Amino acid sequence: MSAGVVGRGRRTAVIGLLAPVTVLLGIFFLIPLGIMLVYSFLEPGLYGGVVWSFFPWNYGRVIGWPIGGGEEFDPIYLTIFWRSLKLALSTVVVSLVICYPVAFWIARLKGWRKNAVLFAATLPFFSNVLVLIYAWLLILRPTGFVNTLLVAAGLIDQPLNLIFSEFSVLVGLVFFLVPFMLLPIYANVERLDWALVQASADLGATPIQTFRRVILPLTLPGIVGGSIIVFIPALGNFVVAQLLGGAKVQMVGNLIEQQFLKARNWPFGATLAMLMMVVVLALVLVYVTRTAERNDAAKAVG
Amino acid sequence: MMAIRRTSRYGGMAALTVYGLLFLVLLYGPLTLILVYSFNANAVNMAVWEGFTFDWYRQIFGLKTSLASDTFYIESTDELLAALWNSLRVASGASLVSTAVGTATALALARYRFLGRRFYQGLMIMPMIMPDIVLGIALLIFFVGIGFKLGLLSIVVGHCTFLASYVFIVVSARLAGMDTTLEDASADLGASPWITFRRVTLPLIMPGVVGGFLLAFIISLNDVVITYFIAGVDAQTLPLFILGMMRRGIKPEINALAVLLLAFTFVIAAVGLYLRGRKQ
Repeated sequence: MSAGVVGRGRRTAVIGLLAPVTVLLGIFFLIPLGIMLVYSFLEPGLYGGVVWSFFPWNYGRVIGWPIGGGEEFDPIYLTIFWRSLKLALSTVVVSLVICYPVAFWIARLKGWRKNAVLFAATLPFFSNVLVLIYAWLLILRPTGFVNTLLVAAGLIDQPLNLIFSEFSVLVGLVFFLVPFMLLPIYANVERLDWALVQASADLGATPIQTFRRVILPLTLPGIVGGSIIVFIPALGNFVVAQLLGGAKVQMVGNLIEQQFLKARNWPFGATLAMLMMVVVLALVLVYVTRTAERNDAAKAVG
Repeated sequence: MMAIRRTSRYGGMAALTVYGLLFLVLLYGPLTLILVYSFNANAVNMAVWEGFTFDWYRQIFGLKTSLASDTFYIESTDELLAALWNSLRVASGASLVSTAVGTATALALARYRFLGRRFYQGLMIMPMIMPDIVLGIALLIFFVGIGFKLGLLSIVVGHCTFLASYVFIVVSARLAGMDTTLEDASADLGASPWITFRRVTLPLIMPGVVGGFLLAFIISLNDVVITYFIAGVDAQTLPLFILGMMRRGIKPEINALAVLLLAFTFVIAAVGLYLRGRKQ
């Protein structure tokens, strides 16, 4: 059954094996995304339905374009988009700074210790996001762990306002997404050729030079991969912002949720989701092409 | 010179070890806090320890407790148990279907070369990189549009769309590391492709298949966002129940519920990871 020319029997096998996924993802993934694209160009109806006419103004509304009816130019949605981008990027940077040294630590461990630590670092990947958020609610709220501790220690009189801020949302996102960053970087560091690092040091490079010229470029694929894997859910998340940010810290995800479950403006919600999807697809496309180019270059050299 | 470098390197490793251990403490500290709080008898401020109790655990299952009745928070144990039962049914159904679909796809892509292979590889990655909320609302518009009643069945279908990809990845990794000699030998000895699959391939990839199934099961069990959009008004899953509780405020029962969910998840995930990582 090794790879070879697709003959008659083989063709039947391929078709049989791929039929289920074609049905599943064709009907329940590709078609829904297509319908969402169509919806983003429909006019919202008065009572939550849609009007079947071409209506490109949903996209204009995102950048603050007023749609008749006394609406004025208002960049509120741009503000929310900007805040989401800022928070998602901050999440990437913070989790990168946290995870990068940890990856080196794990890579240098030996035997059962390495397996145990790797296991412990992977496990939270599967924990329920609500439980993670809940833990930080317990820690950061006015009568929570941190404030109780600080008041008891006499360091503060009034509880600090830690929750319902961009800070608490950032903490929640980082805690939730750190395992997503660690694993790609670790996989990269594990394959790092330490002979090159040694050679750099032997040739008289300072540790900082070795890091900048050798270690950093060699681990860049892991950094980029981890960053993309963290950036996407950070940008799209709405539960963390809703529970740890409250009404004050809205992200695009919250805006989309409101369009669907409260404002009942589905076309505008679909438009926001389309924009988010475009950002994500563009990122992944650039990443995949760049990786393919790098692999081709490596093949050409090797 | 050599001596200096060696010392500094050991110093570096010591610093890394401290940093790494601190990382693990930060990773598990908040979860440990929930665990400790879940046994704290203090009903007013759980940050202040007032003695050990199992009451919060007893309470979520509607058992007799020593608590004053006005601290009761879960209105209905029946509602909780119904949500739990729904979650288990959804997770079982979705992970069974997606294991079959994901494994079949992994087999096709690993063992055959054909036109459109790259397309399918890309297609399998798409649901994993798509933000949950985009998938959730796309499915919502679709289900409402075609008149598919929102409920447990729509949740199962929705979960399958992204779980198949997880199973696909796990099984593909297993297939990639597998020796094809045995399959070739089986075919040379005259076994049909089906017999070869049943007797040779399947037993060899079984740890990957079971590992993929278990991981899919707990991802489904813990899914919040996609379920949130396509559950409709009647179907409640455990995460949606917990979300509802959290929105109404923080109460000690949530600690106990969170601990139980986390413990269950970690045990299943541990088995899944073990099976996935096991050498051939």
